[in-house]
Amino acid sequence: MRGTADRASAKAADRWRFYTLAPALAVYLLLALLPIVNLATMSVHDIHWQQGAARWTLVGMKHYAELPRDVLVRAGLANTALFALIAVTAEMLIGFALALFVSRIAVGRVLYRTIFLLPILLPGIVIGAIWKLMYNPDFGVINQLLHLLGLPGFDWLGSGSLAFLSVIIVDVWHWTPFVFLLLLAGLETLPQDIHEAAMLDGASAWQELRDVTIPMMVPILVMTLAFRLIVSFKVFDEVYLLTGGGPGTATEVLSFTIYRRFFTEDRMGYGSAISVIALFLLTLVIVLFMGMARRRMHAH
Amino acid sequence: MISRHGTPEHLPVRPFVALVALAVSVATFLWAGTAFAQASAAWPRVSPITIVINQSPWFGGFSKVVEAYEKETGNKVTLDVNPFAGSGEKQRNSVRSKEGQFDILVMNSAWLAEFYHGGFLTPLNTIDPAFKLDPQVMSYDDTGYWDAARKSNNAKTGVVYGVPINGNIQVLYYRADLYEKAGLKVPQTWEELAANAKALNSPPNVYGMVQRGARSASDISYDWMPYLHSHNGAIFKDEKAGDFTVTINSPEARQALDVYVNLAKTVGPPNPGSYGQAQVIQALLTGKAAHATPVIAAWPQLDDATKSAVVGKVNVAVLPHGPGGRTTPTLGHFIGGIPNNIPKDRQVAALAFLRWFQSYDAQVKYAQTGQPPIRSDVYAAAFMKTPEYRWSPAVLASLPNAKMMYTVPEGPQIASVLELRLNQAVLGEKTTADALNTAAAEIHDLMQKAGYKTARLPPLK
Amino acid sequence: MANVRWGRLGMHAVLALGALVVILPVVWIAFAAFKTQIALLRGDLVFTPYLGNFEELLFSKASDYPANFLSSAWVASVSTAMVLLIATLAAYSMYRLRWPSWVPALVLMGSLVFHMIPPITLVGPWYVMFRSIGWDSTYTALVLTHVALNLPIGIAVMSVFVRDIPIEIEESARLDGSSTPQMLWHIVFPLVRPGLAATGILVFVFSWNEFAVALNLTSRQTATVPVAIAKFAQEYEIKNGVMAAGALLSIIPAVLLLLFAQRHIVKGLTAGTGK
Repeated sequence: MRGTADRASAKAADRWRFYTLAPALAVYLLLALLPIVNLATMSVHDIHWQQGAARWTLVGMKHYAELPRDVLVRAGLANTALFALIAVTAEMLIGFALALFVSRIAVGRVLYRTIFLLPILLPGIVIGAIWKLMYNPDFGVINQLLHLLGLPGFDWLGSGSLAFLSVIIVDVWHWTPFVFLLLLAGLETLPQDIHEAAMLDGASAWQELRDVTIPMMVPILVMTLAFRLIVSFKVFDEVYLLTGGGPGTATEVLSFTIYRRFFTEDRMGYGSAISVIALFLLTLVIVLFMGMARRRMHAH
Repeated sequence: MISRHGTPEHLPVRPFVALVALAVSVATFLWAGTAFAQASAAWPRVSPITIVINQSPWFGGFSKVVEAYEKETGNKVTLDVNPFAGSGEKQRNSVRSKEGQFDILVMNSAWLAEFYHGGFLTPLNTIDPAFKLDPQVMSYDDTGYWDAARKSNNAKTGVVYGVPINGNIQVLYYRADLYEKAGLKVPQTWEELAANAKALNSPPNVYGMVQRGARSASDISYDWMPYLHSHNGAIFKDEKAGDFTVTINSPEARQALDVYVNLAKTVGPPNPGSYGQAQVIQALLTGKAAHATPVIAAWPQLDDATKSAVVGKVNVAVLPHGPGGRTTPTLGHFIGGIPNNIPKDRQVAALAFLRWFQSYDAQVKYAQTGQPPIRSDVYAAAFMKTPEYRWSPAVLASLPNAKMMYTVPEGPQIASVLELRLNQAVLGEKTTADALNTAAAEIHDLMQKAGYKTARLPPLK
Repeated sequence: MANVRWGRLGMHAVLALGALVVILPVVWIAFAAFKTQIALLRGDLVFTPYLGNFEELLFSKASDYPANFLSSAWVASVSTAMVLLIATLAAYSMYRLRWPSWVPALVLMGSLVFHMIPPITLVGPWYVMFRSIGWDSTYTALVLTHVALNLPIGIAVMSVFVRDIPIEIEESARLDGSSTPQMLWHIVFPLVRPGLAATGILVFVFSWNEFAVALNLTSRQTATVPVAIAKFAQEYEIKNGVMAAGALLSIIPAVLLLLFAQRHIVKGLTAGTGK
């Protein structure tokens, strides 16, 4: 008797194992795998439209061979890597500090939580348009404030390296809430008693943070960092309205190059090749990063 | 080939619905046909249509005209309004699918060539052999005509594919009040413009000339094009004859770029290389610009007190020209075309609207909303002589010379090259000769890859 | 003890400064919504409040903002609920139902790779797909694509939280004879509430603000808020004031959601479950 019940429940468990994963797999198979295959196929073709019909010509690796000579791709890759590095580092540090502080204070938590999340609620297109006005050298509120403090103003978007920095500032402003929210949720699920025990043991706040909180936060930290990295590689909205990639190629970023080549210039084959290469490089970065994180986790 | 009548293969899911739809559409078509045959003065009753269009300062005027059409004819028109670039994307998606979603595509000059070369549009005479563009409708560099064999816009050898919807072109905006105070005369040449700009230049309050020097999909290249053409330069030797020899690094082109960069350096704002269209218009509206050359579509804001600090103070004139050249504004206009991949009844309905739209009465209604009409005879109407229409003589005088920027579908790629290289010249990262030589090499390369008959000039020194 | 007090004070100082940096631009956007375009362009600090932006946004014939707002509310709510459900189920399945270890690895890696693709390159294939079955311009298509776009982050975040559920709780529930659905309902979902709340807010906001896909898969009636707002960033006239007004109204649902969800991101949820 006991045995058949067990077998029945094992069968039920097997069924549920499948049922619970199936919806996610279905979504990925239908809406993700198909476009990826499509992208890869396009990247080895030239696609032209004649008499209302598409003509696909197989060109092999031609598009990939062209990539290294493309000024915009080169600038886009370099800028995107630098952008991701600086912006994501700043966001992780600031976001973690804010989350940690908010989780440790007694008064004003709800207020801070709400305020810190505001930027992520705004549509990217509005953020771009409004910051562009705020950066305006003649009438912008930022220079007005600087003048009020007796400081000289800047032409924030006018010259290369400053424009790059200005775009990063907007990104940090926009995306730190993402880090803040996830890390705060992570901090809130940490068992409260461990923190209290550490404090009772007389550990300094810093020791407690280093030896207890951060190690326990590693999974969520890694996950947040991975996602921020990925999303920062796709940065588009802010650049689109703030600088359009200029002046020169100072703020050209990869997703913008893809948009231009793929859509504006209607070069679906070539644009797909840039996407595929970007995917490949980014996957490499993430795999290396995950490997490192895993080794770190095992070390602990 | 795509069937025009919606054969059941398009609707395999619900054959019954398909049959009903087919029957209804055929009936509507027949009925529309007979109604048309009977109606001599009245407009025919036709199927409902959808027009895909972008939001713009002139959209309000256009939608009023559409309402008038619906009221007058009883026909139904749906407007699918989108952001500018989004409208192009949606049109592209629609014409590339099996059966199109939209019946009239309002195409900007930026993507018109792609639609002609791709073969997505229907010659209007296949819908109605008797259809003609009204002789009063202005030519807009023949962009309503397409010669599919020679692949060029040509009214003589081609046939009619489209009706102009909005005649947006560049003009010279200048501060009439400052002109009066300083006793200046409206400039005929770029040289005179430079002198006037210098006289009015008093930074940081007023900049003599504000240009669109930024790099984007289309900023600096569009802004510079009139300088190039009015110095007798061009991107290609003779596009209409199929000669795509790259002439962007000709001595004339260099002279045109020198004039442009010199204006930016001497009478422009501190960082002209970061001024896009929005910043140029902003400079005009806030009274910071003594001159600028944006399109006429920007005009309505200038006389609106909630938007402008210079109400009544700005006027427009024909663009200046270079030595020995003639004024040549660049088209930024919109053409209404009908796609191949929609059922015949919707094509008939779409053409009915276009035919109505080009009529004198419709264009008067359009002009009364403050928009530049597409017919030259409307410019003679009495209401267009009032001060609020003070832009109209300059627009009318400019139109015969207005030039299409790119007639090949590779236009956006050429623009990418020019935007970067010209912007670098304005920023001082490259000399004008170097910028043009690099651009010429890159354009030659891409035209060669695309299979055009092309060549290069010797590099500038 | 004095040390702790100074620490508290320092934390408050940093938080207050951070809040100021965050809130100033938001306040500026709020002001922009009540300025005329010329007051905005000139950066006037003193201005007479002007309601024209809201009038144009809500009542002009060229704007479909109210309808688009409802579209967004529907699409974002449904797609968020679906993401939370599908992601939690998948996370639970992968980490607690004894799949061979390559299964979760593959699903996670696959979803990360998918997440790397700029949505703009996905739009074309999706449009063709949905148009061929007549689903373009429907909410269903937009909801499904938003689920696909946000599922990666849902699965990744929910995995972290699901793995944090103490295995002992689950084992004791199994011994009590709980079936998988009962386990999910009574143990898993309650325990991952902080994760659900945080992910829910993010996914809702991402869906609410998504532009490229919404533009191409909707028509005038089914368009969403960002499409409505983007119409005011025109080629020849960027109507900053109207855009600001649109943005101001558009964050209301998310702020409400946030205030509501606050109750769920509270400490000690795990404490009450006998841990």
